[in-house]
Amino acid sequence: MLEHIPDTLRMIALFGAIIVAAGALLGLRSEWRKNELEDQVTKIMMVLLTIGCVFVILVALHVWGQS
Amino acid sequence: MNDLEYDEVRRQRLLGFLFFLISDCVIFGDFIFSYLYLRNAAPVWPPVGIERPYLYLAAVNSVVLFGSGATMHFAMEAFRHSNRRHFVGLLLATIVLGSMFLGGQAYEYTHLHDTWAGSTFGASFFTLTGMHGFHVFIGVIFLITVLIQTLRGTYTPHRYFGLTAATLYWHFVDVIWVALFFLFYIY
Repeated sequence: MLEHIPDTLRMIALFGAIIVAAGALLGLRSEWRKNELEDQVTKIMMVLLTIGCVFVILVALHVWGQS
Repeated sequence: MNDLEYDEVRRQRLLGFLFFLISDCVIFGDFIFSYLYLRNAAPVWPPVGIERPYLYLAAVNSVVLFGSGATMHFAMEAFRHSNRRHFVGLLLATIVLGSMFLGGQAYEYTHLHDTWAGSTFGASFFTLTGMHGFHVFIGVIFLITVLIQTLRGTYTPHRYFGLTAATLYWHFVDVIWVALFFLFYIY
């Protein structure tokens, strides 16, 4: 398994999640003024995606999780 | 079909597709509730002798999948702005990231010290993540199909329902993973 490189994995997860969260927030911003049904769904999906990134950031910072 | 007729057909297709996604949410919801039931019925969780899956590998794999959601969103934006080169590049990136997620999941499955029939945790874990992985696999095929269709000129910046459906489906598999990541690796 990859247990012997936990810090490397943690750092990849942390920086990756920050970049993806920034991307999702940018995507949310670009959708913000659109009002079609699919745009509303996309907004919800972008918010949830950002929440997912926050989960990963909290895990990488040892705030959450048991590894 | 003129533009007015197309708009009406598109609206109906979109609604139908959203109902499909909602029904899929209900299926995942059923399994998630059965997992929570089993978890709350057990005196200790995970059951004695069962290890949780490795958290940091799952965290990296999650970032890979969430990243694919972002690239898919920007691919769609590029298509709407008639930027074909960016669209193809971003869609290819989405396909690669989706495949990497499946590879990561396969790696995790082969290194876990639990089986489907080994414990209630294993049964729930393999059922839910396996069903999600199957959805990702279907999503990758869906994306490859729309990429080929786009290269063949099936979609135009005004008529592209297949792309919208693929984008919504891909966001859906991303969002389901947010819930599964929280349930199996954090909670």
